Amino acid sequence: MFKNIAQCLAVIGLITIGSCSRILEPPPVDLLVDDLVLRGPDDMEPVRLGLYNAIRSFGSTTIFAGDFTADYIQNNGTFTDFNELGTKNITAANSLARTLWGNIYGTIYIANFIHENIGSVARVSEIAKKDLLAEAKFCRAYAYFIAVHTFGDVPKVETTDVETNRQIARTPKSEILEWVRQDLEEALGILPLRWDADNASINKQFATKNAVRAALARYHLYQGEWALAESYADSIIASRVQSLDSSYVTVISTEFDSETIFELAYANSSSDDPGTSSTGLNNILVGRREVIPSNNYVQQIIHNNAGTRRATISFNPNNQGGRDNGWTVTKYGTPDEGNNNITVFRLAEIYLIRAEARANLGKVAGALEDVNVLRKRAKAPMANFTTQAVALNVIETERLYELSFEGHRWYDLKRTNRLDAVMNAFSPNWESKYNLWPIPVTEMQTNKLLTQNNGY
Amino acid sequence: MNKNLILFLGILSLTFLFSRELSAQNRSISGKVTLATDGSTLPGVSILVKGTNIGTTTDLEGNYTLQVPSGSNVLIFSFVGLETQEITVGSGRSVVNVIMEEGQTELTQVVITGYHELQRRDVIGSISSIKSERFKDLPVTGFDQALQGQAAGVQVSQSSGTPGGGIAIRIRGNTSISASNRPLFIVDGTPVFDGNITARDFGGQNDNSLAVVNPNDIENIEVLKDASAKAIYGSRGANGVVVITTKRGRNNKTTVTADVQRGIVELVGRPKLMNSSQLVELQREAVLAAGQNPDELGLIPGVTDLVDTDWISEVLRRGILQQYQLTASGGTEKTRFYFSGGLRDEEGVQLNNRFTRYTGALNLDHTVNHRLKFGSNVNISFSQNDRVKGDNFLDGVYSGAIKSLPYYSPYDEFGRIYVPNDPNYAEFPNFNPVGQALFPRFRTYGLKIIGGLNVDILLAKDLKFRSRASIDYNNSEEDQYEPSTTAIGGYLPSVGGKGYGVYSTTTRYTLTNSNVLTYFKNFGESHNLNLLLGNEILHSQGRESWVSGRMFPNNQFTYINSAGVVDQGGSFYGQSGLVSFFGEVKYDYQDKYLLGATMRADGSSRFGKNRRFGYFPSFSLGWRLSEEAFMDNFHQLDDLKLRASYGFTGNERIGNFQYLGTWASAVYNGNTGVGPARLPNANLQWERTNEINIGVDASLFDNRVQITADVYRNLTDKLLYSEPIPLTTGYGNIQGNIGKVSNKGIEFSITSQNTNGELKWTTEFNITRNINRVEMLANGDTLYRGYTASGVGATNAILAGQPLGTFWGLKYLGVDPATGDAIYEDINGDGRISTEDGQVIGNAQPDFYGGLTNRFSFKGFDLSVFFHFMYGNSVLNLTNGGLVNAGEEIETNQSVIALRRWRKEGDVTDVPRYELGNTFNNYHSSRFLEDGSFLRLKNVALGYNLPSRWVEKIKLQSLRLFVSGSNLWTLTRYSGVDPEVSTLDGSTAAQGIDFYTLPQVKTIQGGITLTF
Repeated sequence: MFKNIAQCLAVIGLITIGSCSRILEPPPVDLLVDDLVLRGPDDMEPVRLGLYNAIRSFGSTTIFAGDFTADYIQNNGTFTDFNELGTKNITAANSLARTLWGNIYGTIYIANFIHENIGSVARVSEIAKKDLLAEAKFCRAYAYFIAVHTFGDVPKVETTDVETNRQIARTPKSEILEWVRQDLEEALGILPLRWDADNASINKQFATKNAVRAALARYHLYQGEWALAESYADSIIASRVQSLDSSYVTVISTEFDSETIFELAYANSSSDDPGTSSTGLNNILVGRREVIPSNNYVQQIIHNNAGTRRATISFNPNNQGGRDNGWTVTKYGTPDEGNNNITVFRLAEIYLIRAEARANLGKVAGALEDVNVLRKRAKAPMANFTTQAVALNVIETERLYELSFEGHRWYDLKRTNRLDAVMNAFSPNWESKYNLWPIPVTEMQTNKLLTQNNGY
Repeated sequence: MNKNLILFLGILSLTFLFSRELSAQNRSISGKVTLATDGSTLPGVSILVKGTNIGTTTDLEGNYTLQVPSGSNVLIFSFVGLETQEITVGSGRSVVNVIMEEGQTELTQVVITGYHELQRRDVIGSISSIKSERFKDLPVTGFDQALQGQAAGVQVSQSSGTPGGGIAIRIRGNTSISASNRPLFIVDGTPVFDGNITARDFGGQNDNSLAVVNPNDIENIEVLKDASAKAIYGSRGANGVVVITTKRGRNNKTTVTADVQRGIVELVGRPKLMNSSQLVELQREAVLAAGQNPDELGLIPGVTDLVDTDWISEVLRRGILQQYQLTASGGTEKTRFYFSGGLRDEEGVQLNNRFTRYTGALNLDHTVNHRLKFGSNVNISFSQNDRVKGDNFLDGVYSGAIKSLPYYSPYDEFGRIYVPNDPNYAEFPNFNPVGQALFPRFRTYGLKIIGGLNVDILLAKDLKFRSRASIDYNNSEEDQYEPSTTAIGGYLPSVGGKGYGVYSTTTRYTLTNSNVLTYFKNFGESHNLNLLLGNEILHSQGRESWVSGRMFPNNQFTYINSAGVVDQGGSFYGQSGLVSFFGEVKYDYQDKYLLGATMRADGSSRFGKNRRFGYFPSFSLGWRLSEEAFMDNFHQLDDLKLRASYGFTGNERIGNFQYLGTWASAVYNGNTGVGPARLPNANLQWERTNEINIGVDASLFDNRVQITADVYRNLTDKLLYSEPIPLTTGYGNIQGNIGKVSNKGIEFSITSQNTNGELKWTTEFNITRNINRVEMLANGDTLYRGYTASGVGATNAILAGQPLGTFWGLKYLGVDPATGDAIYEDINGDGRISTEDGQVIGNAQPDFYGGLTNRFSFKGFDLSVFFHFMYGNSVLNLTNGGLVNAGEEIETNQSVIALRRWRKEGDVTDVPRYELGNTFNNYHSSRFLEDGSFLRLKNVALGYNLPSRWVEKIKLQSLRLFVSGSNLWTLTRYSGVDPEVSTLDGSTAAQGIDFYTLPQVKTIQGGITLTF
């Protein structure tokens, strides 16, 4: 009998041990382990797509910061986050601040990861490595650019090391901006004008030389370095890679249209749909109508001078009632409507950058020329100014007509020192502390070295 | 009760008793032993001549023959689970037939603990037993619900009144922050999946896969609470273990029982909301305060309030509950069976909400010979759940109805339901809750199979081997269509306004194999030794798939075959496993000193190689004082036992692959790349709970009063927690073992047979106090959880020194009579209110909770009255964040509480003034925190068994009629409808939040049970 037992136990023991590794070490099916991410030629494109997925992730929140913090919108929904932006009662608990912050640093993480690992990738040409690294630097620079202009001083994260980045203090804005410029200038020398001779969408969804120039033009505009801003704008316009759409409606309704320099792309009719997420532009602006154009904005955009650009918003009397003025921002559609991409740089902005730079440099006639390029396309009356002061005033309004809901307004008012003047007239709740977004409360709680922005 | 096993133990125990040399055999006594309840013969009953070693056991036909010394003898007949009988046999008597009765006292009941069973009097762990009689008249869907208030240390909270909805069970508090806090459920030896497997969120209220096990097929439930009882389940025992035994057949003629129940279901109460004219007045006031013109916003008294819809009444109904069951059980000496089929159909109180369940059970036992036995159990259940959206969903039914402005009507003048694009349709965010109930199809089909096979082999005398293979299979299919007449299908632009269909399937199953050797020996008169050695392999798999479509031709086409665009879908596969080895030693000396030790080693696929195995030992001691000579004077004391235990249990219930640093797919413009997903932590390891328990069991006055009391201290360290880290790292969190949580508590329960004559009156009472505390968190962090909260970050926080379930917010000091603005405590004294003024404002943990049941029986009548109570817990009435919103927005109806708002200087009130767009006065604060204590008449049941002389005439064995009511009466100070709700079903950090949650239902039902 005991022999039987021994046999019995032996069999059970063998079965157990035999199945041990099968039971205890199942392979992951939808995950890639860290060490395998960037090793060989097949890994380059997936990581590149991951980088652009990351930079795309803060496209809509940048628009929330740029347009919703300022005077273009009023709130019309139930989400507290948008209510805070609409009523100018922004708190550090606002999760949009956290989303923007997190996605900026998510992009920086991948860029740093590429920076750290690109050297050791096997069987890949140096050119390909340089290209990917330059794209990483462009993305990192754009991320930091948005970060400092939204939050002020921010932590300078240079590695992927978790322990280093966990407790990290803020670095002065000027130092970060200097790094941004370096990154952009390095990328400028490497990135091509076109990735593909005839595929427009490839050339617009990935960073090209003109995208870097556009970033530098905007960078220097924000810095008040007018000559540099003008010269980068010049070089883009002169390259003739992009050309203005013949109709402003095309800007709104079409992806990868001819004037786009760089746009964050979502595929149509696929699972890659920003639609119903709580930061999806179409969902917020059209679906839930969490925010609607402010009465103040509506009055300006329906002005004759805006011309066809009033198509930025539409009116539906059924919506009117209560606090709802019936207007809806229609710049961002659903994937099926073919215009859910988020434009980062397009030629019209470059004209306006050049116009503003020229106006500041005293080249008022040149500024007028640039403004009227856009007026003409909008089938609006030609502008006419002869003084710098009027020029700057017209350009500010022209940016409203042309670029509203593309993430510019708040940043523009800040750099022209017009923020408090405009916003105090707009909202009784406005306080000058809103020249910066709060550092997200969750970051304050987990990183003891951070300090909060004044007033939050 | 697993009859086979009992039988086997009986045989075993007698085999060694009998193994001694028999002496002084002078004469022979023989007879037959039968069971009182049904007259069936009883094999394996042990018979001992008192004061000697002489004994025998009954054979398969219940017969015995025994050689006894001459003269008068006392025979002791005993059998596990039955009353022991002593019969004096005079010298002239040679045939002694005995009828044995089922154990009337808890002491003789069998308790199934771990991988074997023993008599309650020998238990040295802390175990609560709940027999099926205790919940047979309750209108419960699942057995988890049946546990409420029935056992000390077991806290059961139903999350809402949704049929088939989620239920949170906590045994001795929450031990973990992020790993599951649900106990381990074992049905007939099979670990079963509990909780929610459906893919789609319905606004907080989840599905409950335990709701598909028919409670009427259950014989009894054991709740294992301390380390010595549950450490044998080591790895997964930290949250307690609930061992469920289903009914099995007996060796007797076939009994057929038919059971019919029918009842009605209604909400326990309804919220008190404003009517149209009250609301218009309030909203005008809010708009004026904001410096705007209410007439321009269309808020005109006498016009806007012409329509006054009571949305709550429009979406609610009185539901019908019905339940039918047929069971047959019986068998022969060799083969026994239990068979049952049941149907339960419950209409929810919300329109179109319905839960239907079909169940079947077949349990078989076959004895080949005294060495070999087989057994099987199969429980199959199929359910169809027509769900409706709720809670945190704008397009929910009850939740939508509370919020909806009364200015709109559900129907036009022809009785047609308003749909999107109709001129009078309440646009976003209000919709039409009636249409939201009636138009969509949210059907969930559930299939659960629990099946097991076991073989028992008597390898040698005293040495038994049991091998068991089992499966727990769960499948859910969700068949959903939201037509263009609903919010999603008709309103959401990304869907396109032409219908939205989703179909998803989820399958989770676990295969378990366990092999256990048990050895039972007594040495000499007084030393009893019980050994157990075993192993277990567990393999779990999960598979999911889903697809969605939109752009349907019209609402006649409701399946995705007809969708114009099918561009979203996915599938997933995951698996995990456990490999375990365990052993147990139990020893007692003269049944007076009891000693136990267990050890389990578990390897889990969820941890990296270097931390894969966890080791979980336990030790326990028992001392039966009542056996000591010095206790002889205490005649009233029948049994008194002190017990103590110490041990470790574990928890591994987190997601798979958390220890690996990984990247997952990331899409850009339809092309798929990779993006970072998770940071690695090679040292991720088992969460471990160290438990100490001291208890006493006493039985007094001829076993009429039983008292059990326990004191415990559990400390969980190496907490599995996904720790939030700054986003500057590129990640939001890292999975780690970061802190300590303790639970200290005291439990007391008493059962008393107050009268035992013609009127029988029994009282059962239990009460528990559990003190939960987060002892330590890594880095001294405070972790924020729950909902995001306006002005302060989050509704809940986890921080050292506070319990789990702590509420966070601003402290509301009232309304400034001069301005009408809210006053919050400015903790840092910086003169303004910011997120830094957030503080602990309360917690959801009760000071104590319990249940009181009184049962009466008189002649054929029986009556039971069951109260459940909870005291000292706070409920966050987040509903009032919307319903008393101080004018933050004007798209939501308001509670009548807002009638006492501040309106003019000098008003002293607790509700701030209303101003459109003012978020400050509606910051998340203690204004919304309320006392959630309640005493609830959970159930009253009155039954009548017709006298047997009547029923025999119609060829029945028995006939019982009953009526019962549940949730009939509640005593509470809570201002919402029901304090017994939780919107985040199953959440640990954010319990007890009422956020447009459907209140509990009250049920009144009647039934009839026929036995043939």
